[in-house]
Amino acid sequence: MSIHAHSLSVYVAVNAGSNGKKGSSSGVMNWISSACRFATDRNDFRRNLLVNLGLFAAGVWVARNLSDFDLSPQPVT
Amino acid sequence: MGSVLAASSPSPPPPASSGAASPGLTMPPGFGMPPVSPVIPPTGVHSGQQQDAENPLPNPGAFDECHRKCKEVFPMQMEGVRLVVNKGLSNHFQVNHTMLLSTMGDSSYRFGATYVGSKQTSPAEFFPVMVGDMDSSGSLNAQIIHQITNRIRSKVAFQTQQQKFVNWQMDADFKGEDFTATITLGNPDVLIGSGIVVTHYLQSITPALALGGELVYHRRPGEEGAVMSLVGRYTGSNYIATLTLGSAGAHASYYHKANDQLQVGVELEASTRMQDTSVSFGYQLDVPKANLQFKGSLDSNWVVGATLEKKLLPLPLSLVLCAFLNHRKSKFQCGFGVTIG
Repeated sequence: MSIHAHSLSVYVAVNAGSNGKKGSSSGVMNWISSACRFATDRNDFRRNLLVNLGLFAAGVWVARNLSDFDLSPQPVT
Repeated sequence: MGSVLAASSPSPPPPASSGAASPGLTMPPGFGMPPVSPVIPPTGVHSGQQQDAENPLPNPGAFDECHRKCKEVFPMQMEGVRLVVNKGLSNHFQVNHTMLLSTMGDSSYRFGATYVGSKQTSPAEFFPVMVGDMDSSGSLNAQIIHQITNRIRSKVAFQTQQQKFVNWQMDADFKGEDFTATITLGNPDVLIGSGIVVTHYLQSITPALALGGELVYHRRPGEEGAVMSLVGRYTGSNYIATLTLGSAGAHASYYHKANDQLQVGVELEASTRMQDTSVSFGYQLDVPKANLQFKGSLDSNWVVGATLEKKLLPLPLSLVLCAFLNHRKSKFQCGFGVTIG
């Protein structure tokens, strides 16, 4: 009986550890899925604001770095 | 005489262009506050510091001009066919006829007149300036601008819908050495006890940085409220970055002058009241040799637009083509305009 109790206690301890790992991984998965839902929700104001802030920063970068081309180049003599 | 400018149609670029023109009006020079000087000549750091010590801070310009440089890069949406005929009758007086044929709204005809006085305050500014236009139903838009003293400029504006006054406002600008203050009174009604008061203040902190604020107070019977917003503008050697923050939302703009031919603007608008944000990217291409100006824009609402303006010299003719396409709503709008004179 004591051997069974011991094995039972070991079995419970192993399952408790694996349940903890499953709990943390499910927490990470929950966070990832909620982040994906946030990123694809077009009706969310904060999400739209973040996306448009990124677009504004990209537009400023393009204006500062990619607009310095000469539209009427003079022929090289 | 500089007042010849009042008789002729404004040749681009208008030297002292300013506040929004009513449809069909050609704004003569001097109509509004002087433009902000956007480009600071590149100087060395040490010479810049010496200049700071020697020269006072510059006047930052009007509060309403903060986002103007960026806004002017974007094409203006136009629909239908527009014909504008300008005729100068004397050095002080000019009339214009505007005919708008529209497929979506009502077609209209507007008659406008502009009077520019003889009080000269600068090579391109004459006062008083009186501009008005009326459509075929009797609706009137009118503005009177006058430079009262060297530092104080006042403006009175009216708008009527046939015989009923819809908008009436008066404002006064005070231009200090390194600051600008404005007070505007909108639709004041002493009998009912309603009206809107708007105050602006803009202060130069450094030759490149200007900070300011806006306070809007509105009152109606049984209701009153105030809204405040802050603005900051940084002017670089070839760019201007402006940010306006308030309880109603935020507005950020970046203007970049790449060269004499290309100007780029990026704008972000966020409204907490409408729970909506948008970003717009625009550019302006000037080809003086071809007398051509092209403006294009793209925004986050999937709207793509462009306008092409070409002067058909030596004729006093200017041609404008405009097209806007809303991909999200599958809507297309185009416009065609001719300006004579």
